Amino acid sequence: MRCFVGKIVTHEEVQSDLKQLIPDAALRRRMSRVVKMAVSTAVECLGGVAEIPRVDAILTATGWGCLADSEKFLRNLITEQEQLLNPTPFIQSTFNTVGGQIALLGHNHCYNLTYVNRSHSFEDALLDGMMRLADGESRRVLLGAFDEMIPSLETITRRMGWWRHHTAGEGSCFMTLTPEREADSVAQVVQLDFPIEELSAEECRVRYATTPDAELIYCDATYEELYPTRSAARFSEAVQRIKAGTKEVVLYNNCMGMRPTVLVLQWLG
Amino acid sequence: MRIAVTGLGVVSALGVGVDRNFAALAAEQSGISPEPRILKTTHRLPVGELKLTNEELHRMCGVELKEHLSRTALLGILAVREAIEDARLASDARVGLVSATSVGGMDLTEHFFEEFMADERRGRLRDVRMHDCAASTEAIAAHCHIRGYRTTISTACSSSANAILQGMKLLRHGILDAVVVGGTDALSAFTLNGFKSLMILDEAPCRPFDASRRGLNLGEGAGYLVLQREGEHARDPYCYVAGAANSNDAHHQTASSEEGNGALLAMQGALQMAGVDPSAVDYVNVHGTGTGNNDLSEGRALLRLFGDRVPAFSSTKGFTGHTLAAAGGIEAVYSALAIARGVRYANLRFETPIAEHGLVPEKHHQTACAVSTVLSNSFGFGGNCSSVLFTK
Repeated sequence: MRCFVGKIVTHEEVQSDLKQLIPDAALRRRMSRVVKMAVSTAVECLGGVAEIPRVDAILTATGWGCLADSEKFLRNLITEQEQLLNPTPFIQSTFNTVGGQIALLGHNHCYNLTYVNRSHSFEDALLDGMMRLADGESRRVLLGAFDEMIPSLETITRRMGWWRHHTAGEGSCFMTLTPEREADSVAQVVQLDFPIEELSAEECRVRYATTPDAELIYCDATYEELYPTRSAARFSEAVQRIKAGTKEVVLYNNCMGMRPTVLVLQWLG
Repeated sequence: MRIAVTGLGVVSALGVGVDRNFAALAAEQSGISPEPRILKTTHRLPVGELKLTNEELHRMCGVELKEHLSRTALLGILAVREAIEDARLASDARVGLVSATSVGGMDLTEHFFEEFMADERRGRLRDVRMHDCAASTEAIAAHCHIRGYRTTISTACSSSANAILQGMKLLRHGILDAVVVGGTDALSAFTLNGFKSLMILDEAPCRPFDASRRGLNLGEGAGYLVLQREGEHARDPYCYVAGAANSNDAHHQTASSEEGNGALLAMQGALQMAGVDPSAVDYVNVHGTGTGNNDLSEGRALLRLFGDRVPAFSSTKGFTGHTLAAAGGIEAVYSALAIARGVRYANLRFETPIAEHGLVPEKHHQTACAVSTVLSNSFGFGGNCSSVLFTK
């Protein structure tokens, strides 16, 4: 099973104006920060709202979901003692809000799924996309990941001791996937594995690298920026290395108490 | 390759276990109570609540109280354990889990937040440890000895149906030998108030597909199936999952399109994957929440798909309430039992058809029916519409 990566965009790389990316003012106004961040990354990746109908699967991944809206509704509920609550933050708090809003913006009825499996979310969504492409159920998949950091989460996780070894992070990253090489292809994913035990850097090389000059991006839980779907940003980094001339990158992700994942990316050849 | 359903597990307001649930369905005994007794809330609204405290659930699961699991995880453990024991899986099978939830550990988080809001140094951290959705999946896997690949899906009220769909793919691609699929959601003040704020909660027991319907009753529970490739199972399957599809209504964040576009596409997709003609469907377990919008839109989608020959159908949410992410799992268990035991369930409290489409659901429990093809619908926020087709 393999697939080709087309355009890939992280939220830092979004250059277009938000009003262009999300032209529907009413939709835009209701969107929380993370929904705006993720949807704008998705639309930038596709090259405009008009391109949304061209994808036939929309896969999103998030470990924490729409935290700010969840918190807003929860605070109102407590403060107002469950009376006369504004439904908007509740409506926008569901984990599939981003996937739903992309479908709504592009009037796209295609397959639409959201994975919420902590630090596995991105890889799980990628697995779904790769299986759909392999089965011929999809020809062009939009895959993206997002997570937001909010002050209360930072406070709570600081009390849990997280930030002694990590810095708090957030981000979003979207890409297109196709079963065959296309004009916009930049790299290919040749393997996605879910090993049942932790692997050392050396073990990753031995087991997964097919060439001695393969580069390894090894993410374990020590001294790094931390958020559940951070591996999507690392995936983007791997793609950049391929674009810069590296022929193979092995990406190992192991954090937040989940089992590790391994991805192997290669140049187009 | 056919995908067999070889194990069933369910927990709902009707009780713990397949037998209790089926007995209540057959006796037309609703699990909706006039108000919550376990859930902490000021609202006196009818709910489909399992009348067991978290302490009692820990004991039933054989989990020590100090583990302090979320109610979502506890309900899930009971149902998954029942499903796995039922399937009698080989000890060397690679068993995985695709679990759906929409509230995750919110039932604990909301307790934490009251204290935390007053003073950010307060609130017991063990109450937020299980906030994310994966925490319930990991706890279920740990307590049910599931060692293979596992993941968590959240597409609001269609979540479990999508878990079934993804489980089928994992089997077809040989990633797992057996997969437990379904979902779990506990009642929480967060969701109860959420649906209240949307003004779609009925103050009386819900009346799906009735002209006088006023909304849904929230419920809680968990429902899981064990799926295996045909020919690899130890026991006779209940039925097969012949098709499943997911489509987006792309109409509104919470409301369904008037004509039920997403619902129609999902049902058509499931039939198409199975290669089954609509005329072969014997029974539809509809989403049927009891809201004005859903039952009108879903009814129209049924008419568009089946024309003037809409098969027997009913919503079982009059028994369980709307259990959100668990609904597709619970109703998949009921659908599998409908085929295995030749029954169709009652649509409780139905009296008058909806004027716009005039559809009449099954009013009473029917036994000794030839039920060989069942469609189960689940639709959710974000436009997510999913449908699963079970065959004998």
